[in-house]
Amino acid sequence: MFLYDGEVRRHANLHELSVAQSIVDTVLSEVEKNEAKRVTEISLDVGQLMQLDRNALAFALRLLMTGPVLKGARVRVNVRKASFSCRKCGRAWGMAEAQKQLAEVPDTLRVREPDSKELPLHFLPSLYPAFIRCPRCGSSDISSKEGEEIQFRRLVIE
Amino acid sequence: MTRADESNFVFTEATKSKLEQVAKVILVGSGKGGVGKSTVASGLALSLSRKGKRTALLDIDIHGASVPDYLEVAPPVKSSEKGLEPKVKNGLLVMSLGLFTGSLPVPIRGADKQELITQLFALTDWGKLDYLVVDLPPSMGDELLSAFSLFSGKATLILVTTPSPSAVNVVSRLRQLAETEKVPVQGIVINMAYLLAGKRKTFPFGRPDHRILEAKFRSRIIAEVPLEPSVSSRGLNTVLKESNDFSRTFRKLAEYISCKVV
Repeated sequence: MFLYDGEVRRHANLHELSVAQSIVDTVLSEVEKNEAKRVTEISLDVGQLMQLDRNALAFALRLLMTGPVLKGARVRVNVRKASFSCRKCGRAWGMAEAQKQLAEVPDTLRVREPDSKELPLHFLPSLYPAFIRCPRCGSSDISSKEGEEIQFRRLVIE
Repeated sequence: MTRADESNFVFTEATKSKLEQVAKVILVGSGKGGVGKSTVASGLALSLSRKGKRTALLDIDIHGASVPDYLEVAPPVKSSEKGLEPKVKNGLLVMSLGLFTGSLPVPIRGADKQELITQLFALTDWGKLDYLVVDLPPSMGDELLSAFSLFSGKATLILVTTPSPSAVNVVSRLRQLAETEKVPVQGIVINMAYLLAGKRKTFPFGRPDHRILEAKFRSRIIAEVPLEPSVSSRGLNTVLKESNDFSRTFRKLAEYISCKVV
């Protein structure tokens, strides 16, 4: 399953690569703090609002996980679905409905990567109220219960 | 052993490494709207950059970003393998949330604001900087406290006020907050301090009394910026390039900052 509802990508995109680098840096810092020798599992929860390509992120992680500490560790990237609710009328909805509105984000606001144009939410997921409104009453006073996060579900080191 | 982490660690790690590249952070704030924080922040940042200092300007006014207009930079933003690329104006690096939202309203609440400011700082490719100038929004809520916390230990605050007593009263509250949050205050900039009519100075917001202001803010006045009506029609960058009281004031302010904030 892809987090991003667009074209399937065949390689690690730039943002996924930089996110993967931060993950690796964090894991290595945990290893050092705990005086561990190796990592056996990295399981991540990635919010759907970040619109990261799960396969591209896993691919980028494997590219960067070289060396005796990280090599061979199992990598899992789990999708945490985005869900929104309207503070005004109480309506709740998910990413499928939000995608219709995101498709209308003007081209001029899309961030230019070398071979694609990305929504600002790809980088700044907390900006969602600027682009998503309640499908029932049209209010922008909305909240997201989850879907903005990127966090460890499980990190196993020995 | 296993570990679960509830934070958005990607941004925490990236923030740490980006902060290591910044020598000093200069927060420009007032707590009050309409006193000219963005003009002062932009003018100072451009002048520091002209002095050859590696300088960036970060606009964290989520609801009313105006730096893109002042500095005539516009969406779209580009991204490279190093992160989001700031716009460049006369050597000054510029990043603003307005570059992602254009003219759209940004109705964001509470904790999301802190996330957003951290995300923007952490994901931008600043490179190595002598100065990061931060244009703070009005009020003393989430954005201001987020900036205090994010740049803690590296930041110094410039207070911007006009001579008007109502502005002075609000700005003095920010002075108190800076003290409780242990953010050092570098000095006071009095914006719209006077208007030049030929060689004659007039004081549309009252004549600033240095002694009273310095006592109230327990800090030095480091610049008095004149009202320069042509900024709105000809642009800040153009006016700063010319020889006038306005540009001389910013050159002196940049000189002061580059001597005192090192």
